[in-house]
Amino acid sequence: MAQDSVDLFSEYQFWMQKLSVWDQASTLEAQQDTCIHLPQFQRFLRSMYKALKEMDSSTIIERFPTIGQLLAKTCWNPFILAYDESQKILIWCLCCLINKEPQNSGESKFNSWIRSLLSFILSAFRFNIKEVSLFSQRLGYAPTDYYPGLLTNMVSSLVSELGENPLNGFNTQRRMEQVTSLSQVCIPLVTLPELEPLVEALLTYQGDEPQEILCPEFFEAVNEAFLLKKISLPTLAVICLWLRHLPSLEKAMLRLFEKLLSSERNHLQRIEHCIKDSLLPQAACHPAIFRIVDEMFRCALLGTDGAPEVLAALQVFTRCFVEALEKENKQVKFALKIYFPYASPSLVMLLLQHPKDIPLEHWCQSLTHMSEMLREMVEGQTDGSYRGAFESWFLFIHFGGWADIAAEQLLISEAEPPEALLWLLAFSSSPHDGSQQRAQTMVEVKVVIGRLLKLFRSPTLSGQDLQTAAGEDREGDPRPLACQRLVRHLLLSFLLWAPRGHTIAREVITLMAQTEEITHEIIGFLDQTLYRWDQLCVEAPKSGRVARQLLAELRTQVDHVEAQGGPGTV
Amino acid sequence: MERLLQHLERFSEVLEVSRSTYVSTWEPATVRRALQWASYLRHIHRRFGRHGRIRTALERRLHNQWRQKGSSGPGPGSGLINFRSLGHCDVLLAVSLLENRALGDAAYHHLLQQLFPGPGVPDTDEETLQNSLVSLARLRSAVHILRLYAYRENPEVQKDPLVKTQAELLLEHLQDVGKAEAEGPSRFLNSLWERLPQNNFLKVLAAALLLPSSSTRPQEEGLELSSPETPGEGRQELVRWLLGKSNIMSVFCRNLPAGLLASVVGRHPALFRVYLGLLTDWGRHLHYDLQKGSWIGAEPQDLPWEELYNRFQSLYQAPPPLKDEVLTSLASCKAQDGDFEVPGLSIWTDLLVALGNGT
Repeated sequence: MAQDSVDLFSEYQFWMQKLSVWDQASTLEAQQDTCIHLPQFQRFLRSMYKALKEMDSSTIIERFPTIGQLLAKTCWNPFILAYDESQKILIWCLCCLINKEPQNSGESKFNSWIRSLLSFILSAFRFNIKEVSLFSQRLGYAPTDYYPGLLTNMVSSLVSELGENPLNGFNTQRRMEQVTSLSQVCIPLVTLPELEPLVEALLTYQGDEPQEILCPEFFEAVNEAFLLKKISLPTLAVICLWLRHLPSLEKAMLRLFEKLLSSERNHLQRIEHCIKDSLLPQAACHPAIFRIVDEMFRCALLGTDGAPEVLAALQVFTRCFVEALEKENKQVKFALKIYFPYASPSLVMLLLQHPKDIPLEHWCQSLTHMSEMLREMVEGQTDGSYRGAFESWFLFIHFGGWADIAAEQLLISEAEPPEALLWLLAFSSSPHDGSQQRAQTMVEVKVVIGRLLKLFRSPTLSGQDLQTAAGEDREGDPRPLACQRLVRHLLLSFLLWAPRGHTIAREVITLMAQTEEITHEIIGFLDQTLYRWDQLCVEAPKSGRVARQLLAELRTQVDHVEAQGGPGTV
Repeated sequence: MERLLQHLERFSEVLEVSRSTYVSTWEPATVRRALQWASYLRHIHRRFGRHGRIRTALERRLHNQWRQKGSSGPGPGSGLINFRSLGHCDVLLAVSLLENRALGDAAYHHLLQQLFPGPGVPDTDEETLQNSLVSLARLRSAVHILRLYAYRENPEVQKDPLVKTQAELLLEHLQDVGKAEAEGPSRFLNSLWERLPQNNFLKVLAAALLLPSSSTRPQEEGLELSSPETPGEGRQELVRWLLGKSNIMSVFCRNLPAGLLASVVGRHPALFRVYLGLLTDWGRHLHYDLQKGSWIGAEPQDLPWEELYNRFQSLYQAPPPLKDEVLTSLASCKAQDGDFEVPGLSIWTDLLVALGNGT
């Protein structure tokens, strides 16, 4: 607490000095500096208010003898008054200074001064539009009646001014400066609904100048307001914003990541909603935006060592992106080179096909084809570089639903597992394995699948049978983690698809979910499976019901553990 | 119903007192009661917005009050001028009290507590009132900033945001007056003419006459009745008024820029005929000065040749019916003067030549 008040005091001095320099924000530099500091100053006002409201007015004067000056300077700065909630907090602060029963003339004078400041805030700057005030007063209108309309008219006049063509480069320099300064004065105003047309017009304004003429703080303010949903903007304007100001795009992506990885973990329906809501998939139809978004996904994957949540988000994002692309342009497939410039076009075409558009009996064929192409790329790398393998994997994982289909196909088809599908599974689960390691994984998986297939129609089935099939108790080195995960997914698939799998599902899952991490993994698997079936309109009423039930139970269980203050999430 | 109307009248009185020195006698409890009253009327506004009969009765009562005060010149008034203003009567009261220095310290302190309860207060009436006041402060600053740092006067008067806003208010008010007053708005327009800076009023008139029908202010959400009185009729009232006031019409045509006048009369044929008549009159006042070689006025208030020419030229460049009628009229004046083709004999000949239509 003591430290807090020391901090507040040093902040107080900092802002006192700033406010004196800014004066009434009449010079361009003062405006610029004010605009940069608006959010920070608002935070200061808030903590000031918190401190003031705990004291009576005489204590306040004792502690902050110049508080009146500080607040007065704030009142006279239109940029602060126009910004977000600053005027409100300022009013609250001033209210704290009013003495209910002034004891002497000094206190009365001070009261009277604070009263003049308060009424200044509420009726500020009326001299500026003298004619309008006079006229409306004669008609009997109050400021509340006409200020919104006046602002709307000012905005529409500025919008049409922006739309006019400059006279053939005549005075271009001057016009440029005007637009820059307009974007600057709009910074505190962007969240006013009346301003929306102007914000949009500025964002889409294309001058003749190659360099950016809108000021970066304007972009930041608009982006922030958009991300906090304080304003709504047409998609085109948002795309312009992100194209013109890359830090805003990065911020939008980071916010999306934060949202997806915290609150929406393992809820693909909600993740899809979040992603669509962010407008990023639509914006990514612009190749420059796509590249950056994709780059950020790549970094996220590298940084988290391929966290399943990021993988899931990337897959849903890609699906939404393709949807947006199709909506925008029916002949999307020709343009794909622009989005995946380094990938083989035929592979991209193949991956891009929505499984729904392919007859069921051809799925295996498509998967085989994919696997062969990827394998050729990965193993054909003369330098055998890790990077090449990663790039191929990164491309494939955009459409990672195919790997899940492959696992499912291996179990349902009840035939000898094709080599290509095994390879695809091994590759997608662990891209940086060497070929020997991968071959080992393939062998293991093949054995497990072989055993599972034998059990598939078994009239008697127990959890123990599955444990044995999975080879949990096998001799030798433990399997690598990725391989373990793969086997778990095969078991889960088996439980959902095998006719009697449902009877032992709970038992097996309890045996399997030994750590919290694995529990989350199982939840993720079930959620993704249900989401995929929904997307593909897979008719599996019984399996679906079981999966939903299991999912609900596991979620309750996890929530319960977390509510009890169990170990934090992994 | 009668009770409601009485409430309304009482509250108007309260509003008036809130602006006077009488508030020095107010105690915290008085402040609270006044605010409660305002909040009650705001509920009335919300509740009866769609109730035609009650609404019209309230509207009429408000208008009569306003008019009675208006006879001594519509001054700052009570601020309660129409049904719409009931929706924010609490803001009006709050601002009056906040600005009134006569309000005692204790009462003022209580007022602040009521108006600005601080954060964390659920969405009650106080919260809405606090938000309205705060958003008014914010709008004021926004307008100030744009006016100071981004505004450039629009050369086209009717597009200038300040003028346009006044024009919208004028039309809206004409609509209200139309609903409430049988003899039409001419009394009210006369009083505006007498009391407002004329130059600004002329611009506002012109802009109002030019406003497209769609451009009236956004109506209150869901509360407006579909009214038979459209802003179009407000404009017709303005035309009727101007036609009935030849002196004002003459100042209107004399003082506004030529291009603006051409647009206005292009939209209102009745005004066009009067305008053309005035121009012809003014032309007749000029005579040719042989020494200077130009047309000059006999009196200082006569319209100079350049101005006359500009006005004719703007009409001449306007879309077809105007241009043709101007030419016909000039030609007939020229014929009356003897149809001379020599310069300096008839002003009409010279005007036609200057316009590029001499034969």
